[in-house]
Amino acid sequence: MGSDSESPTSSDDSTSQNPNPNPHPNSTSIDQSLDAIEDQLTSIALAQPNDLASDDPASSSEEEEVFKDAPNGSVLEEENQKERNEGEIVEEEVGVVAAEEEVREEGRLGWRRVNSEVEVDRLSSPSSSGYAGERGSSGGASTASGIEEIGEDRGFDGNGRGEFFDGASDSQAPPWVPGKRHVDEDDASVSWRKRKKHFFILSHSGKPIYSRYGDEHKLAGFSATLQAIISFVENGGDRVKLVRAGKHQVVFLVKGPIYLVCISCTEEPYESLRGQLELIYGQMILILTKSVNRCFEKNPKFDMTPLLGGTDVVFSSLVHSFSWNPATFLHAYTCLPLAYATRQAAGAILHDVADSGVLFAILMCKHKVVSLVGAQKASLHPDDMLLLSNFVTSSESFRTSESFSPICLPRYNPMAFLYAYVHYLDVDTYLMLLTTSSDAFYHLKDCRIRIEMVLLKSNVLSEVQRSMLDGGMRVEDLPVDPSPRSEFSSPHLGQSRIATDSPDRFREAFAGIGGPAGLWHFIYRSIFLDQYVSSEFASPINSSQQQKRLYRAYQKLYASMHDKVIGPHKTQFRRDENYVLLCWVTPDFELYAAFDPLADKALAISTCNRVCQWVKDVENEIFLLGASPFSW
Amino acid sequence: MPSRRRTLLKVIILGDSGVGKTSLMNQYVNKKFSNQYKATIGADFLTKEVQFEDRLFTLQIWDTAGQERFQSLGVAFYRGADCCVLVYDVNVMKSFDNLNNWREEFLIQASPSDPENFPFVVIGNKIDVDGGSSRVVSEKKARAWCASKGNIPYFETSAKEGINVEEAFQLIAKNALKSGEEEEMYLPDTIDVANGSQQRSTGCEC
Repeated sequence: MGSDSESPTSSDDSTSQNPNPNPHPNSTSIDQSLDAIEDQLTSIALAQPNDLASDDPASSSEEEEVFKDAPNGSVLEEENQKERNEGEIVEEEVGVVAAEEEVREEGRLGWRRVNSEVEVDRLSSPSSSGYAGERGSSGGASTASGIEEIGEDRGFDGNGRGEFFDGASDSQAPPWVPGKRHVDEDDASVSWRKRKKHFFILSHSGKPIYSRYGDEHKLAGFSATLQAIISFVENGGDRVKLVRAGKHQVVFLVKGPIYLVCISCTEEPYESLRGQLELIYGQMILILTKSVNRCFEKNPKFDMTPLLGGTDVVFSSLVHSFSWNPATFLHAYTCLPLAYATRQAAGAILHDVADSGVLFAILMCKHKVVSLVGAQKASLHPDDMLLLSNFVTSSESFRTSESFSPICLPRYNPMAFLYAYVHYLDVDTYLMLLTTSSDAFYHLKDCRIRIEMVLLKSNVLSEVQRSMLDGGMRVEDLPVDPSPRSEFSSPHLGQSRIATDSPDRFREAFAGIGGPAGLWHFIYRSIFLDQYVSSEFASPINSSQQQKRLYRAYQKLYASMHDKVIGPHKTQFRRDENYVLLCWVTPDFELYAAFDPLADKALAISTCNRVCQWVKDVENEIFLLGASPFSW
Repeated sequence: MPSRRRTLLKVIILGDSGVGKTSLMNQYVNKKFSNQYKATIGADFLTKEVQFEDRLFTLQIWDTAGQERFQSLGVAFYRGADCCVLVYDVNVMKSFDNLNNWREEFLIQASPSDPENFPFVVIGNKIDVDGGSSRVVSEKKARAWCASKGNIPYFETSAKEGINVEEAFQLIAKNALKSGEEEEMYLPDTIDVANGSQQRSTGCEC
């Protein structure tokens, strides 16, 4: 948006103007489009190695810092400025709103904090809201100085749970984790103010519904402030979407009587944060349906917190998945790799039950789909699958018994409930049968018994477990010469050279650190199938911190590729001190690849071609094919 | 689950500027009083946890600005209030006369479902001033007005001395709680695929 006028950022703009006449991975190669702009890219890369067309209005130097800072969660050089910003989030955001709305001129509304009230008595009672605490408004900020910023994941109070939660799990799908953290905090707590990413749900009367950190009731004053900001702007016939306050972004999403707010200094793009708020809202709808709106219509003071009782874990698990599950920004689901015949066998038995009044039959292993079948004309949106599987996997009670629970699929029908029969077949594998009939429990139980028998008999469950152990695609397994076809279809000198002599060279150079040509990781998203496949994380992307950082980089890439103002784009090549990122979008697929920051560009491009070919070669195993009713 | 259930009550404090709304709130929440007057800009928010009949609940107190230029805060501020506190200064006749306007304004903006029975509480503040000798609104007069408006509970307080403040807020909490009791029924639908329409089912949540 802001930066596209700057000359160095034109890299993908120009790319996007290069039409890619043939989007099929088999028959064309990314070289064609990328080679054409190669020289241009080189000069750009030299001039501004970190720059890149981005929707982010931040300057290029800030872009650099996104990557530098994100992993550590603590930036010492900017400490002072940050402290100031953090201590005054509210003040600044109000200030911005006020400026935009010309509050003071209208003379209708302002906030105490806008006015510099120096004479305020600096009492800060623990039982009062931060607004009271802020009576020493600038004082509150100064007490914060000298304390290092708390990472999103690290407990300020030395509470190890924090680290466990977002942090130190190595698996791609971390285990279920306890829900609410740091309940003792409120907006007067320095630690609370230093959290990198807050999420709030509140009602249009300003009553708190959910807060990621801290106790909702203690945050009632803060919640009221958020409501006041939103409502004030709305009164003027306008809508507040985003407020920037120093390093913080405050993102607002209004869904009828439900207000959602994210306050973040993670430097994720606005579109990503907004998408996350949409998912949080969707999760709420999944639990309650949109009919809660009626309660608010009849009674604005309606308090819906009791209706959400016990669902803290569902929301915290969803928020956690924003940093490890690419489905949250790709809007696609992923499958567990399985032999084609195995998945067919699972699909066949699910199909049988779908004919007997089941709307959707879904067999999943953690967040990965084994197979799914829908009744005629019924289509399942990937976001609904994400929210449903998050709901099921985050709630411990589903694991211990067979359950029958009302759920709502927001993209299917946000107004009404379906009923979900959920049963775990083994520790990670669970079956979900969705129906419209509230008395179908025994029928679905019978269906489950039949399904389970067939799955056991045909060894599907053991195959599922083996696949879990084997893992998915590994970059180091990227075939040098994926298929005989590629020899014929790659007339480019560059590629044939790589295919013949360079692999050895690179195997040496990058031994143990990723795949050929410095390939570290990739995600391939099939547009038709609504599915993606992500390579396993390998060295050097080992820790979950690094994984989160990479996902955030992908997320940013995704947002810039799909930018509504200057996008959509077709290719993007981006180099900074952490990665080379390459993105290629065609009508059929999207490829996101991360390489060693020193990776050679030509090699990276041809490696992407090989990845696409590889995915194509194994698509029978990594995707659920022929599930046409599920594309939406 | 029900024992842990906490209620949040939105309490709005209205009244002319300078009658002591912020001081009352400060005395109640923080047990502090300052002689210095500083105008509230727009609104201020405080929370206080209160125990009442073995139930824990949170008062979310919306302290609004009394100046006329802030009066059009609009629906947003009043929406979903559980109780409204009308404050006047017993030493200033105008502030008492204006109670009617404040009450009307609130009922228009908040449009509660049952305006006749919406819980108001009236507070006559600053009874300590000059030992009561500068008082212009008699308790009798105030009580008569309250009675005429559907028996609004009435308190005379001194935010400075802390007289009757706790008692007033106790009743505010109690009345707010009572009005919150008649909760809206949450009745979600179930999808009826066959008819393409929705059937109302019994609410079965939580």
